[in-house]
Amino acid sequence: MKKISRRKFLYCSAAVFSTAIPFDPFWFLAETNVEASGPVDISGKVFKGDAPAKLWKWSHEGFLYEKLKKNRVACGICPNRCVLAPGDLSVCRSKVNIDGILYTMAYGNPCSVHVDPIEKKPLFHFKPESRALSIATTGCNFRCLNCQNWEISQAKPWQVRRYELFPQDVVAKAQSVGAKSIAYTYSEPTTFFEYMIDIARIAREEGIYNLWISNGYINQKPLLELCKVLDAANVNLKSYSDAIYRKLNGGRLEPVLNTFKTLHEQRVHFEMTNLVVPGYVDDTDMAKRMCEWILNNLGPDYPLHFLRFFPRYKLDRLSPTPISTLIRFRELAMNEGIRYVYVGNVPGHEGNNTYCHDCGKLLVERKGYLIPVYNLVGNRCKFCKSVIPGVWV
Amino acid sequence: MKRKSERAITLVVIATGISSVVTQLLIIREFLAQFQGNEFVIALILFNWLIIGGIGTLLAHLAVKGFWRATAYRLGWLSLCLACVPTLQIMAVRGLRDYFFIHGASVGFYPTLTYTFITIAPYGLLLGFVLPYSLFVLRLEKPDYPGAFIYMTDNIGDVAGGALFSFILVYFVTPLQAVFLSNLPLLAATCFLFISIKQYRVSVFIGTGLAIAILLAGVFMEPASLATPKGEPIYYRESRYGRIAVYKDMDQFTLFMDGTPVFSSHNLTMAEETIHYPMSQSTDPRKILIISAQGGMMEELQKYRLARIDYVELDPEVSSVLFEFDLIKDIPGLHVINQDARAYLTKSDEIYDAIIVNLPEPETFQINRFFTDRFFALAKQHLTGSGILSFSVQGFDSYLAENQRQKISSLYNTVSEHFDHVLLLPGQKVFFLCGNRPIRTDIPARLLEKGIQTSYISSFYYGNMTNERIAGLNNLLDSGAPKNIDESPQLMRLMFSQWFTKFSTSPNRFIVGLTILLLIYMLCIKAEEFVLFSTGCMTMGSEILVVFAFQIFFGYIYFQIGLIITVFLIGLLPGAWFGEKLRGRGKQILIITDSLLIILLGFFILAMKYGGDRLPVVLFLLFGFVISLICGFQFPVAVRLRGADNRVVTRAFSADLIGAAFGALFTSAALIPYLGIVWAAAGLIGLKLTSLTIMATRHEKNKQA
Repeated sequence: MKKISRRKFLYCSAAVFSTAIPFDPFWFLAETNVEASGPVDISGKVFKGDAPAKLWKWSHEGFLYEKLKKNRVACGICPNRCVLAPGDLSVCRSKVNIDGILYTMAYGNPCSVHVDPIEKKPLFHFKPESRALSIATTGCNFRCLNCQNWEISQAKPWQVRRYELFPQDVVAKAQSVGAKSIAYTYSEPTTFFEYMIDIARIAREEGIYNLWISNGYINQKPLLELCKVLDAANVNLKSYSDAIYRKLNGGRLEPVLNTFKTLHEQRVHFEMTNLVVPGYVDDTDMAKRMCEWILNNLGPDYPLHFLRFFPRYKLDRLSPTPISTLIRFRELAMNEGIRYVYVGNVPGHEGNNTYCHDCGKLLVERKGYLIPVYNLVGNRCKFCKSVIPGVWV
Repeated sequence: MKRKSERAITLVVIATGISSVVTQLLIIREFLAQFQGNEFVIALILFNWLIIGGIGTLLAHLAVKGFWRATAYRLGWLSLCLACVPTLQIMAVRGLRDYFFIHGASVGFYPTLTYTFITIAPYGLLLGFVLPYSLFVLRLEKPDYPGAFIYMTDNIGDVAGGALFSFILVYFVTPLQAVFLSNLPLLAATCFLFISIKQYRVSVFIGTGLAIAILLAGVFMEPASLATPKGEPIYYRESRYGRIAVYKDMDQFTLFMDGTPVFSSHNLTMAEETIHYPMSQSTDPRKILIISAQGGMMEELQKYRLARIDYVELDPEVSSVLFEFDLIKDIPGLHVINQDARAYLTKSDEIYDAIIVNLPEPETFQINRFFTDRFFALAKQHLTGSGILSFSVQGFDSYLAENQRQKISSLYNTVSEHFDHVLLLPGQKVFFLCGNRPIRTDIPARLLEKGIQTSYISSFYYGNMTNERIAGLNNLLDSGAPKNIDESPQLMRLMFSQWFTKFSTSPNRFIVGLTILLLIYMLCIKAEEFVLFSTGCMTMGSEILVVFAFQIFFGYIYFQIGLIITVFLIGLLPGAWFGEKLRGRGKQILIITDSLLIILLGFFILAMKYGGDRLPVVLFLLFGFVISLICGFQFPVAVRLRGADNRVVTRAFSADLIGAAFGALFTSAALIPYLGIVWAAAGLIGLKLTSLTIMATRHEKNKQA
């Protein structure tokens, strides 16, 4: 074979390459799989040495933690299981290690206190048209890119304005504003677990309901403790994909699924929300698998809300969810066998109403937070007398 | 060197100027379409571009001195590469974003800095390298070839490129078509160079063919490069003001501007809130003005049976696409006005029952003008006695963060100077309702009285807009928050701060790092180079100040702003020519010209304080021209003072570029937002005073011939 010089080889290679140009030189521009884009996992990290030097008025020893060697502690509240050396601050920004003891810095110092319609949580099958005193401190164990409360969920307790409301005061406040329930909401209540459970215990004694509005990222032991005083929950099932959980939320799917199972076993009324993020959570097959899991593990009776996504916080370069996608998902879930499926963030849509799973008649018509039509008697359908799941009276 | 090849090199330099300015403008637009479009990011991109250019220039001297002898043949190859890289660079910026960042998510400061730096680097370094390299090639045969001639030649290309893009290409072609067209002169000049030095090697033909193929491939691959994983792209257009794209997902249309979804069909909540909150307050509205609109708003306005609706949208492409995809309905009485709304109000005599402002957050100088003291005064002049002004900014769900509180307080304090009653309604957007009659909060009841049917407000308002929430927001206002005025855009400072908070980051590390690098650079440069550094900084800073001031007083008028920028480039040319012709007294000349720059900025401050919108447009043009004239003039003088050898010229080029880089960053991101326009100009005077002092106290060591 005739040898060619290196220079000639380079020329020939370049010539061959140039003929390929009209075909696909910009291979990397081929349609991207969103799950393959950017970092795989956005989970939070422990804030090394970020704890304040001293405790403050709103500190309380942690509910569940393990003491380790060298004065380190391991928080047992959520699956992050933060291991904190003295002076460290947890992923959720609420827990600190001071001299080998785990403390929460979020106890008696809520930054948000409002009275909301219960439908806003959303809880459609629990005490309709009642009002809930809604409270939150700072902190979250997730890093959701679309968080609508990021100003508090991604803040440290000392970075915000706060009210001073210790557990007894919260219950008194709920009574004074005529709220039937107290909702632990807005940020992630699991991160102020100690505060929440102390309030909940007093509230239970005073006949006020406790509502947990959460991402469900909690360990079983604290959850079982919470279930003893919990009346209802809305837990966000952000997607039925561990990869998306890691990419968009900085969490994992499995612990959330376990939470649903525990709530179901403990017979706590709960509703599920699924925010349909275009390009990520709007996959029909995934929605179908999610519904199958719900039916197989929880049964058909727990309400499922498909929420419309709007660009928020860091996830602000996506379109809102098309309403027709939500309608399609609702139909899909109902066809699969889930009995109560709603669409959220779509005013005036019939998917906000409750229809009897048995006779199909309109039970509750919802116009925003108003209920012009109510066809339940006790917890039964006025027409066919079927028991409608939920806590209605 | 033969005359023919000298001419060819001159043509290469001019063509490089054309290509580089068009590429710079395209790259800035590309980054804005991929990243957050706030003023900080714009300044950061410009900073990266100029600083990398400066580094490339410095490298040219090191390379030639060390291992890479200057030859015309090599210059030809460098030019070929330069012609190809813009296509690859734009494709890389588009294609790699979703590889490094999460699709659909915005990106914080440090990732933006890194990504822009890395993607600009190949072209920026090459560009910075080529200019002095051309000079070295020319000096092979003519060792006394003046460095200023290259500066001037490049400047001719810059002016041509700027004008070509701003007045022709932007109207007719897509970015990669613009790259193709603007690089054809460079390819032609390079071929001419190869011919002039009689290089007819196979590699040259293949290289040229490859360059043409890459440029053409860019044109053909452009649609694919704009595809997104979700939604079907059904409209794409590059307007003067940015990238407009419409995507269809199921039956929903969303209009994206510069990569951000701004208008979407089926956004009933936003349409109802924006229209009915103000309209519910009017007793018998007949004529209203709406500044920018979005899906569903016209249907809501139609419920009031108005006699006239003036809808002002700056970009005619945007309003036309909104109508085309039914995002906005053409209702009776609707008049579309494609103009800057502030410029329109300044010239109009119309009086309205309501003015509804529906603009994005005040993140840029352009948008901030609709949230200032002077704008609110202007709006009031165009309202009836019972008229109402409404605008909104980003709101909050359950907690009003401190930055946001300051922002809302600043706006409240600003607008309440002009209206007796200002009501703030909380929500995902905070709405400001301003009038001279009491504003009622029972909006659903008001709408019921008027017989107006709504979906969202009638059913959600009382749950979301409780008296406790309204009172809570109004009680949190800080009466001490500074007002947002045109000359001192307080809101932009808060927007920057909010942006950093959102990404849990701070610019401090960047500022410290930059300061250290700047100090090191300062220690390495000579007095004359510092003059050029400070002049580069001042010229770029002045350009930003002039464009900013022009927008305040006359509105965003694309053509005239394009003229101002062109004039800033044009002045350099005669300046450098005069500077080259003038011989002797270099130090004194630098001192005199520095003093002139200081005086000019002094005049600028006086003009801002006492002239305002009474100043003729031509004054802005004249100011820009004289500033750049002096800047151009100083370059050859400073170079001659230092001896004009290759090393001196490269260092002079670098000083000018690095100075411009700092001027862009500090003026846009620090001086104007934090100190206001007058103190920003004063800051630039301070810098020039330092340069003046250094020159005046420097021991004379004149090396000029």
